[in-house]
Amino acid sequence: MELEYSPAMHQLTRLGPEPAGSPESALAVMVSAARDGDRQAFGRLYDRFAPMVHGLLLARVPRPDVDDLVHEVFLQAMRRLGSLRHAEAFGPWLAAIARNRARDHHRRARDVVELPEDVAGAPHPEHGALGVLAAIQRLPDAYRDTLVLRLVEGMTGPEIAERTGLTPGSVRVNLHRGMQMLRAALGGSTPR
Amino acid sequence: MSDDYLWDRTGQPDPDVQRLEALLGALRSSRPAPAVGEPGPRAASTRWGWGALAAAATVAVAVGAASVWIGTRVRGETWTLTWLDGTSWAEARAVRQSRLGTGQWIETRTSRARLQVGDIGEVQLEPATTIGLVAAGREVHRLSLVRGTMHAFIWAPPGRFVVETPSAVAVDLGCRYTLEVEEDGSGVLRVEAGWVGFEHAGVRSLVPAGAVGDTRPGKGPGTPHYENASAAFSAALDVIDFGGDADARRQALDAVLGEARPRDALSLWHLLSRLDGEARGRVHDRLAELVPPPAALTRRGILAGDRAMLDAWWDELDLGPSESWRPWTAPWSSSPAANTGR
Repeated sequence: MELEYSPAMHQLTRLGPEPAGSPESALAVMVSAARDGDRQAFGRLYDRFAPMVHGLLLARVPRPDVDDLVHEVFLQAMRRLGSLRHAEAFGPWLAAIARNRARDHHRRARDVVELPEDVAGAPHPEHGALGVLAAIQRLPDAYRDTLVLRLVEGMTGPEIAERTGLTPGSVRVNLHRGMQMLRAALGGSTPR
Repeated sequence: MSDDYLWDRTGQPDPDVQRLEALLGALRSSRPAPAVGEPGPRAASTRWGWGALAAAATVAVAVGAASVWIGTRVRGETWTLTWLDGTSWAEARAVRQSRLGTGQWIETRTSRARLQVGDIGEVQLEPATTIGLVAAGREVHRLSLVRGTMHAFIWAPPGRFVVETPSAVAVDLGCRYTLEVEEDGSGVLRVEAGWVGFEHAGVRSLVPAGAVGDTRPGKGPGTPHYENASAAFSAALDVIDFGGDADARRQALDAVLGEARPRDALSLWHLLSRLDGEARGRVHDRLAELVPPPAALTRRGILAGDRAMLDAWWDELDLGPSESWRPWTAPWSSSPAANTGR
């Protein structure tokens, strides 16, 4: 039997409070420490940015692959952290790695044929959610990213802006338009 | 309707957005864990006792002044090994890369080295460390740490990364940790994030972030305790776990129970399974003062070692649900005790 990752472990990996100070300076301190090999600092970065990475991947790749890819993205980031010139850009830099990893995943998985939904057997509790997710995945990049981060990961618009490096104005517009498109895609109503 | 709620959850809630949040929140990576099945079959691994290591050491072939490979039985998957120079990890720079195969051993001597553990994480090796790759399979990656210090940073699902030491086996449960092994085979496990299971001959410790687990040859893992526990508490646990006559152990238990803070419930919970008789009852009563057990639990059941009751009490310790680690305890007992070399 294939082992499954227990998301409860995500909760167990949470560390103590982040360093005091403004979010920007705390981020710079964490990135700098992680670059110097401080694994606790890297853990804090993971805690803070894993939802963003998960959301960006979930917007692009099949859900069963997402957890593994989140780990791969962070491992790749850890290896390349020395190449990050501005610590404050960690979020956008990490987001770029996640998007690139999703593209690579699609290239590698080109020959994999996914089962159609109608052979999936008994309805799964997540069926409705996966249907909505599929609708979001068909939206343009900017809209699907912000919608997944907002609706799946539970981040607010300001948090999305802060993590991804987008301006708050762009995020707000993307959320607004994306939600309009999603409503239209779902036939004017949202599933219950 | 304003999109304030969509933006930052202020203003009048948008029913559509609320429904989508409730629906899609199930896809979040931190949602409650699904039922976890029993672990899959263990990867076939070769048992490498200390005698085999000693034999391998006799045919050691130096590949540099600061590091050495010992042993040559390469089979199956290999890991990328990067040798580093510099006087600290912050200054460390890669100077050479090679592959480490199953059945191979390395000594870092004065070097540092970084070991890429397949796709599941990374291990950093301090100088004066001897380590062997026992198995590198799809299900389980298994190292043997003979002496020295390693830092593991593992992203794999729980139970897939195992480190054997002369006195206990460390099972990664999703975490970062440091493991040190002394020349005499004793060891110290320090967990920085997540959890590590530490086991020998049926004696198990669950060591969470911020906690330490000691281990001694022939004794196995001691009672885990937080690093910020009082010195008296830690010293008394050491007596209970590893030495002392009956009087000394009784006095040590007095100290442990007297010094215990609510956070030290972690240690007391472990002691419930390690002590017996009157001592177990005293631990029960102190733990109940620090963390009251659920109403359904009985003192009699706890003292009898009822696993379900122990798990239920664990769940009250605010350390995460027992179901998050219980499925991974099964394979520990089948870990090769022969790794102790006895």
